[in-house]
Amino acid sequence: MFHLELLTVGLIQGAMYAMMALGLTLIYGLLRILHIAHAALFTLGAYAGVLAANAGLGLLPAAIVAVAIGGIAGPLVYVAIYRPLLDKPPYVALIASIGLLIALEDGFRLVFGPYGLSFDNNPWFITGWMIGGIYLNAVQAAIAVTAILSIAAFTWFARRTRAGVAWRATVTDPAMARTFGVEPDRVRIMSFAIASMLAAVAGVLIGLLNNLVEPTMGSIIAYKGLAIIVLGGLGNVPGTLVAALLLGVAESFGQTYLDQVLDRDAIAFLVLIVVLMVRPQGLFGKAG
Amino acid sequence: MVSGSYSGPTRAAAGVFQENGIPYISAYGVHPDITRAGDYVFSTSFVGEVQGRAGAKLVGENVGAKRVSIISINNDFGQSLVAGFKEAAAQFGIEIVNEYYYGMADRQFGSIVAGIRRDAPDAIYATGYFFTGGPLVSQLRSAGVTATIVGTEGFDSQNFIDIAKQAAEGVIITTSLDRGTENPVMRAFIDDFEKKAGFPADMVAATTHTAVLVAADAITRAGSVDHAAIRDALAATKDLQVSTGVLTFNSLGEIYHEIGAQIVKDGAFTHYATIDDPVLLAPPTE
Repeated sequence: MFHLELLTVGLIQGAMYAMMALGLTLIYGLLRILHIAHAALFTLGAYAGVLAANAGLGLLPAAIVAVAIGGIAGPLVYVAIYRPLLDKPPYVALIASIGLLIALEDGFRLVFGPYGLSFDNNPWFITGWMIGGIYLNAVQAAIAVTAILSIAAFTWFARRTRAGVAWRATVTDPAMARTFGVEPDRVRIMSFAIASMLAAVAGVLIGLLNNLVEPTMGSIIAYKGLAIIVLGGLGNVPGTLVAALLLGVAESFGQTYLDQVLDRDAIAFLVLIVVLMVRPQGLFGKAG
Repeated sequence: MVSGSYSGPTRAAAGVFQENGIPYISAYGVHPDITRAGDYVFSTSFVGEVQGRAGAKLVGENVGAKRVSIISINNDFGQSLVAGFKEAAAQFGIEIVNEYYYGMADRQFGSIVAGIRRDAPDAIYATGYFFTGGPLVSQLRSAGVTATIVGTEGFDSQNFIDIAKQAAEGVIITTSLDRGTENPVMRAFIDDFEKKAGFPADMVAATTHTAVLVAADAITRAGSVDHAAIRDALAATKDLQVSTGVLTFNSLGEIYHEIGAQIVKDGAFTHYATIDDPVLLAPPTE
């Protein structure tokens, strides 16, 4: 039963990683940019959520506000930071992204203070159920449900809608897509909006789970997200999702059995090193 | 120089100040090697092992818990507290059921909570800081863990209560700051701080204030700003009334100090007990 509970905890953590990494891999697939500043949108979402909730909105409306802000901020980041750098080598955008993350973290610190904010009222956190001997609170359940719904919605969007087809065409061959009337810039803006909405909702949910929203809460997730998309095979969406869940489970068991020798946050890189030694293209990437 | 920092940077800086003959007072670093840097280095807080031993006495005698799980941050602060706790545990009839360690950046403790639920201890001895302790205590209570939680001075901040909210109620901590004191100097500090700052004083405020008072007293008694004279005056500090109690340095520059235990009640830390045992709490002398 204990191991089943660890597995559950790990899968929920992995589901949160999946929401974050899906956005990262979308943007990498489209622009070949390692969007480190994605983590700042995660933090922005968390702050928007806690401020909206503490202003008197319920948790669900607060989460919707956060998602809307993420959906606006993501495209702004693309337009203001990345679009002017598209003709530059990829490392220029990477450096800009790192700089943006640091600047936004310090911005959060200056505006909201260094100690972080908590939800005045967090009923989801104290509502829980014992299911087959495994305890699950409402925030954990919300993470699992949100991850499943958002990934399912994205899959439907990518496969069943004209915009989704345009997105896939642009990923595969932007020049060819343009000849068919697809405007790559609009697709990029849309991708940043989707990715940032996912990051924002993940931020709110982690803020609720920790009952704490801090300026640097995205720092760890920034590098773990990179580890996940490399593990999954860069730009490979299904691979990214599986890698996220695997990492969540590895951390859950690792924190229990390796905690005296290995920090939980080091596990992502241990797994990354081991996998890359065996499969340099990642778990699900294609060789060469 | 007064250092208001954790043990890591304080240890690094202590050697530099010693080498340059500048008196150096660590306000709340807990590592015993800080004062071992030399005779220009002093500490106005108790070392981690001492506080850990006080924690064992608090858990075993005052709380009356015998089966205890440990959850600790895996830096020198946590490790020194746990070392002291484990050293004294048997003396107070405590069986350590399990130990869990986490990193400074951890805020999600799902697997540790699962382990605690499996252990079903009478009490949990937890080390960390307010920004780890708040989420940890919240997650333990949210999962139905009812064991008494005994924390350390790292939780001694109103921020801890603001994060954990209702889950913080009943959490006991060992710390330098006794909010229930009748001592007029300590009382004045607690009241004046809140009046001026607009929020309650915590351990960091009290120990740093103490360190500044100690430095000022030594400079006054030295009658000059000569470094060697101030060092000699610091070493001779005896029964000085400060915001954390009455302070005397031993030959290593450490202090003996009774350790206060505070409990969270109605959203604030209040006096719970005082651990005063000169043998158990004896600071290192060399």
